[in-house]
Amino acid sequence: MSVHAARLDYGGTPLFDELDFSLAAGQWTCVLGPSGVGKTTLLRLIAGLEEAAAGTSIAAGDGRPLAGRVAWMGQQDLLLPWLSALDNALLGARLRGEPDPGSERRSAAIELLKLVGLGGRLAARPAELSGGQRQRVALVRTLIEDRPVILMDEPFSSLDSVTRWKLQELAVELLAGRTVLLVTHDPREALRLGHRVHVMAGRPARLDRPLLLDPRTPRRLDDPALLTLESELIRRLAGAAEAA
Amino acid sequence: MIVRLAAILAALLLATPAQAQQKLTLLLDWFVNPDHGPLFVAQERGYFREAGLDVEMIAPSDPNDPPKLVAAGRADLAISYQPQLTIQAAEGLPLIRVATLVATPLNSLVVLRDGPVKSVADLKGKKIGFSVGGFEDALLKAMLEKHGLKLGDVTLININFALSPALLAGRVDAVIGAFRNFELNQLDIEGKPGRAFYVEEEGVPTYDELIVVANKARANDPSFRRFVDAVERGTTWMINHPQEGFQLFIRGRKDLDNELNRRAWNATLPRFAHSPAALDRARYVRFAEFLKAQGLIKQAPAVDSYAIELR
Amino acid sequence: MRSLLRALLVFAGLCLVWQVFVTVTGIPPYLLPAPTRVFAALIDRADFLLPHALLTLAEIALGMLFGILLGGFSALTLARFAPARRWLLPVLVVSQAIPVFALAPLLVLWFGYGLASKVAAATLIIYFPVTSAFYDGLRHTERGWLDLARVMGATGGRELLLLRVPAALPGFASGVRVAAAVAPIGAVIGEWVGASAGLGYVMLQANARMQIDVMFAALLVLGLMAVTLYYAIDAALRRFIPWLPESLTASSKE
Repeated sequence: MSVHAARLDYGGTPLFDELDFSLAAGQWTCVLGPSGVGKTTLLRLIAGLEEAAAGTSIAAGDGRPLAGRVAWMGQQDLLLPWLSALDNALLGARLRGEPDPGSERRSAAIELLKLVGLGGRLAARPAELSGGQRQRVALVRTLIEDRPVILMDEPFSSLDSVTRWKLQELAVELLAGRTVLLVTHDPREALRLGHRVHVMAGRPARLDRPLLLDPRTPRRLDDPALLTLESELIRRLAGAAEAA
Repeated sequence: MIVRLAAILAALLLATPAQAQQKLTLLLDWFVNPDHGPLFVAQERGYFREAGLDVEMIAPSDPNDPPKLVAAGRADLAISYQPQLTIQAAEGLPLIRVATLVATPLNSLVVLRDGPVKSVADLKGKKIGFSVGGFEDALLKAMLEKHGLKLGDVTLININFALSPALLAGRVDAVIGAFRNFELNQLDIEGKPGRAFYVEEEGVPTYDELIVVANKARANDPSFRRFVDAVERGTTWMINHPQEGFQLFIRGRKDLDNELNRRAWNATLPRFAHSPAALDRARYVRFAEFLKAQGLIKQAPAVDSYAIELR
Repeated sequence: MRSLLRALLVFAGLCLVWQVFVTVTGIPPYLLPAPTRVFAALIDRADFLLPHALLTLAEIALGMLFGILLGGFSALTLARFAPARRWLLPVLVVSQAIPVFALAPLLVLWFGYGLASKVAAATLIIYFPVTSAFYDGLRHTERGWLDLARVMGATGGRELLLLRVPAALPGFASGVRVAAAVAPIGAVIGEWVGASAGLGYVMLQANARMQIDVMFAALLVLGLMAVTLYYAIDAALRRFIPWLPESLTASSKE
């Protein structure tokens, strides 16, 4: 899908103007940038949560509207505290008023939760789960939605490094084949997971030409080729921070 | 020259009174109404001033407060009721009656004149409204007994001082605790005249409706006698000049100038005590015995312990 | 059990302070009776006080029920329909601004001298706290959840019912707690203005007859009822909304 000539005003000044970029199907695109540049806003725009100025076009590659084909995973797990892990995973169908998920979807959810290691915690409330466990439920919830485009806003930033590591691997495995747009502030995460890495900079903000990486993910960060890319990325980020 | 000097000296001496005006706080029993006529006439005619008194009259928000405040020493005098005083004395409050303001009962059982109730006996099975005065049911019981009824034959409903509205709206068939000089005129003005059954004609011993009480410890305070004398002067003047009396009552108090007060003034005139200081012991004994028989007090206190004729 | 013991200790402490105050200041019993006299009156007139107490309790309970139902319904209406806000919100504020004391005689006139007017007074006094607390909770749902719901394609009605209402329950609970503390006032005011039974009426009557110890005994019963009601409601709320992190007592593992 592509975003063309996007313009969004925030408080009277344009946050971005003439912003163009595209997401490659089936690949992970990561967007980095200094805080406040508008990464989250761009994500929300694509999700349909923000209104863009006239002239903006956000379109899917096949020409059909994006609505209903996007899944959202935020910085917080967004689990509802009064529902069990299983019910949280099945939230989408509930909110859309679809007739009882039916044993099919339900068993799919149970299988997925077992897969992510929460088989014994199906009935647990979010308050009883750790941060990592909650994000895993969120991941399952995102998967159950079965949408082609996944938008993620720093979903692992609130976790400790070990948990983050594991969750990144899980996400790559489970979201294989889907188009993912990941906003992150961690260059290593971007290099580990992304196929294309953009840096968003400037006011109004633009995305630069992406760094392209090989298809196999998650990558090992001790790969020397990656280290070169990392320094390039950090250089770009520093430049972006200055420009802000 | 010396004569002139002496005259000036004499004038100076006479101009400043031998003692400064003594302050007295008098708590009224209710908001200002014609029952307080003699007090305001005495005030306006300067009788208090001439007696060396500076009387401050305060209307309370809760009628139950004034006796308590006098008993607690927070006020000098209060207007109260003989029945309430008897009960309070039996409960040990250090109060003593020093004067009578209204020497007849004012309390009555009131029905609508054009209603179905023509005698007390007709009240069987009906609703009677009352405000919590502490002894209304005792009055009612005596009145009903005289006509062969029991308290259980009627339904008592507390309507908390909204006596006339409740009767007019038909929410109750009769009200007890209505003052015959006031509520009857109120009903008249509303175009639905009432009929009163007077408690003292229906089995209740007669009593003083409005009295002046003081703290027992100060029973012999000389200023009280002077106060009562001034009230007596006010009463006498009022009876001699009724209409001018009303004008003095409303002077500077525009809100009192209305038809109800005008009518109530004339209705109350014959009921003021002509000798406010005088005390009829037997009347007090009789009423205390009545309250005891009704079970409102356990023991009838000795009259001299709560009523006195000031010297 | 432990919290009950603590409550009893606090109560005993208060009585002690009360007794000391009366003894030291020598205040006459017709203004403030000593706790010993009040307890004696309480025991002596227990059979007299009980039916009045039960009646007042019934008034409070019914008032709370109607107030909560009405308040809940109003809050949902305000949250769902924008035009309702323009018309209902001023009514809400007015209901709070006018003291119940002023409206009570009117309530008695409309609903009569029986139970209904007292229930109406209690309902009126808790209507605003309940509605306002619940409505605030509905308005301030976590933005993240609303975003998620939007992306997932939730309809307005389902969003309200499945997301905003459960999320607003903590706010609703605080409104109900306030109601539990305040409803007794409404019931008693209703009784003062026109009743022949109930603890408010007993207080009035006892006051007029200079039986101040009985008046305080009735007051004590009313106070105990109100406190018990509050704690009972609080416990029920915590049970009904178990995901609430806060609770009145330190631990929920009682």
